[in-house]
Amino acid sequence: MLKKISEVKKKRLKEMWKVFKSNKAAYISLCVIISILGMILVGLVYTPYDPYDFNLRRVRQPPSLNHLLGTDELGRDILSRVMVGGRYTIGISLISVLIGTLLGTTLGLISGYFGGKIDALIQRIVDVALSFPTTLLAIALMVSLGPGMLSLIMAVSISTFPVYARLVRGAVLQLINEDYITAVKLLGRSSWHIMYRHVLPNVLSLIVVQSTYYLGFSILLASSLGFLGLGIPPPTPEWGAMIGGGRVYLFSSPHIVVFPGLFIMATALSFNLIGDGLRDALDPKSRMFFRRF
Amino acid sequence: MEKILEVIDLRVYYDLPQGSVKAIDGVDLDVVKGEILGIAGESGSGKSTLALTVSGLLRPPAKVVSGKVLFNGVDILKLKNDELRSIRGSKIGMIFQDPNTYLNPIYTVGFQVGEVFEAHRGGSLRKYLDEVVKLFKAVKIADPERRVNAYPHQMSGGMKQRVLISMAIAGEPELIVADEPTSALDVTVQAEIVELLNEIRDRMNTSVIFITHDLALLLEISNRVAIMYAGKLVEVGKSSEMLKDPLHPYTKALLSSLRYERKKKLASIKGSIPSLINPPSGCRFHMRCPYALPKCSQVEPKLVDVNGRKVACFLVGDGYGGSDKSH
Amino acid sequence: MSLMRYLAKRVSHSIPTFIGALLFMFILVRVLPGDPARLIAGPEALEQDVQRIREQLGLDKPLYLQFVDYVTTLLRGDLGTSIKFRTPVINEIMARLPYTIVLALVAEAIAISVALPLGILSALRPNSKLSYVSSTISLLGASAPIFWVALMFIYVFSVSLRWLPSSGADSPRHIILPATTLALLLMGNLTRITRSSIIEASNSNHVLTAAAKGLRDRAILVRHVLKNAMIPIVTIMGLQIGSLLGGAIITETVYAWPGIGSLLIDAIFFRDYTLIQGIILFIVLTFIAINIIVDVVYALIDPRIRDLLWRTS
Repeated sequence: MLKKISEVKKKRLKEMWKVFKSNKAAYISLCVIISILGMILVGLVYTPYDPYDFNLRRVRQPPSLNHLLGTDELGRDILSRVMVGGRYTIGISLISVLIGTLLGTTLGLISGYFGGKIDALIQRIVDVALSFPTTLLAIALMVSLGPGMLSLIMAVSISTFPVYARLVRGAVLQLINEDYITAVKLLGRSSWHIMYRHVLPNVLSLIVVQSTYYLGFSILLASSLGFLGLGIPPPTPEWGAMIGGGRVYLFSSPHIVVFPGLFIMATALSFNLIGDGLRDALDPKSRMFFRRF
Repeated sequence: MEKILEVIDLRVYYDLPQGSVKAIDGVDLDVVKGEILGIAGESGSGKSTLALTVSGLLRPPAKVVSGKVLFNGVDILKLKNDELRSIRGSKIGMIFQDPNTYLNPIYTVGFQVGEVFEAHRGGSLRKYLDEVVKLFKAVKIADPERRVNAYPHQMSGGMKQRVLISMAIAGEPELIVADEPTSALDVTVQAEIVELLNEIRDRMNTSVIFITHDLALLLEISNRVAIMYAGKLVEVGKSSEMLKDPLHPYTKALLSSLRYERKKKLASIKGSIPSLINPPSGCRFHMRCPYALPKCSQVEPKLVDVNGRKVACFLVGDGYGGSDKSH
Repeated sequence: MSLMRYLAKRVSHSIPTFIGALLFMFILVRVLPGDPARLIAGPEALEQDVQRIREQLGLDKPLYLQFVDYVTTLLRGDLGTSIKFRTPVINEIMARLPYTIVLALVAEAIAISVALPLGILSALRPNSKLSYVSSTISLLGASAPIFWVALMFIYVFSVSLRWLPSSGADSPRHIILPATTLALLLMGNLTRITRSSIIEASNSNHVLTAAAKGLRDRAILVRHVLKNAMIPIVTIMGLQIGSLLGGAIITETVYAWPGIGSLLIDAIFFRDYTLIQGIILFIVLTFIAINIIVDVVYALIDPRIRDLLWRTS
């Protein structure tokens, strides 16, 4: 019996992979993300130059064979800095989305499943968080917590969790009236068992798709904070901060700004396209037609 | 016996990524002036697709693969958009299944009924207000002067269905296609709606195609009944005769399930409708048929005349199920 | 009449949210970053001066009393005095506010005039070139870092082509780049939602009824598709006001547009905590107020909600 279930699951995964792969944009985006991650992994052990070593004799050089992406305002190799900076920008986004998802999903599950006073309390917290425009909330948190990686992770995850809490709560409320949940309840299963085994799996695809989109979003948010000088203090080559640092030299040396920006955009774009692909793979109904009469 | 509608060898497929679903696969049927023709079948038998095709409302991914639908001798499948449009709502009226979703929630019902007049007679909507009130009276909506200004969500399901019926009869059509008009309603309301449709037919001498999965209801109200199974017709005949002496095993099963339980659902036959992407060879009912012969799974029976009735079964009539090409 | 009542109800419903936001701000400002009195007095101040400021600000009282003080001062419309400018915070905000409002309105206007036609046309012709253009724009809008787009615009249109000024607000031409940048941020989502609401509306059953009545394509499209689709579109416009305000902070900073967004970033670098706090509270209050207005507008276009509101209030 158990074996059969896992076979069914495997078959479903295979089917989903087929649908996902048939979406060319999503498939290419996945490859892009894998290459960027690969580049970051390489950056852990090898970079063409020392990303922190400034050399005033080679400042703001345009791209050349020696420095493929040129050098920045302090003569540091931009390619090396991009390779190292990725681990901050992308790492912070990954961790923040993970925390935001876990926190938001848990709150949403509790809120939707138990209802009553605890729901009201959680919804109040979510209301307050949503009464701030997301960027403003993140800025306020960064100002209060001070610059640094930990603050950045906190700021980005706190800025994203309320949306999950709303989303999951809504999905749970829809589910909870379904007959089979009622049936499981009548069997006398504990609430946690029902939530974990029956409710969570049903909202999982929603969460996965949403998280992929949020990865794209939080890369933009984290790099915006870096750009404003509220993120990780220099000389750490976080992508947004690199753009913030090179901004003054835009007129003469645009390459300092262009390349890190391209990496941010490529990453965010890929996550968004993968999100689209996942959405279609997990829910084929989302494709629709229009016809004129 | 003037025929108002003739469906000839109609095939309608849905092109889906998984393959093409053969929702209607070779159906011949006609409707005589002034009669109520009932079409019965389980969900997935193709009866709703038939309704949409007849009223010219098919949309992709549905596609007419072959066949003709002659309305007063004109093939509506060949009509241009604009010609078809002038028939819809004026010559052919359509009543849908779920009154809750087939009305636009953001307009008053009066407005939505008035649109029929506006579409076919032109001019501003406002000048048709009196006619809409008259129509509402005709379909027995209480307090019609006030009701024309109500929004759909302010009305009950039965009331909304009356609004939809008033829309369908607004153009005094020659044919009304009613696709499960009562199945979303309470039983008492169902009876009222059926009575109303009967009355309209008597008053306006309109032909009605009445589609439902409720065979008991169908046999009661319609002059003739066509039984559909997996995209094909299996039996067509007078209601009274079919009730007395069903010929096709599927019809028999439907009727006997009716006698056992008054729930009037067709789903009580063992098994389910086969896949219409790769329909089974031979008779499409053979897998569920208690009397199936070996040939039933290989050769397809044709719809043939048997004592004034049409049946597609090898067990009936001459035992060959018509002149099969291989014989 | 009932509309006023609904408004009152909606306002009273957001009071706890606003108090929560105040409490949150209070925690951020008073509890987390150390000693505000020391910050105000400056790093070189004598301990007795710091103590005097502490007493002036009531920082020696217990926290809950401090919160009560904080809220009552705010309720009097007093956002405090800017540490840097030595003027009331509210004056600073009011001087900058018109710029932000103009920027936001122009950006929203650009976004709507591009996104609506694009979304509608691409919904009607799903495989046309236009549809690809629209999905590209909506993707870029959702994926491009706005600060970077702003810099690229400056490089292309100000530095290379010399068409448009890159910073300041001296002439109407100065608003073109910042407003377009901000519009790009909104356009993506707006195009996508427009497209999908139209597709959804055109797949709904009442469109089938409209077709069965013999309505012309145009009437079906305008009355039974577009008008129904407007409800989600207006909703997303309301939801986007958060992005608009957040995006304005970044856009104003890059283009040195003298609105409250760039004022906030300046205040952060001057460590002007009263000004920071004042601006954030001001934006939050505005955001809450706009959300109430959006809800009311929403209720006005959808009879189902309008009716609900009559019954419950």
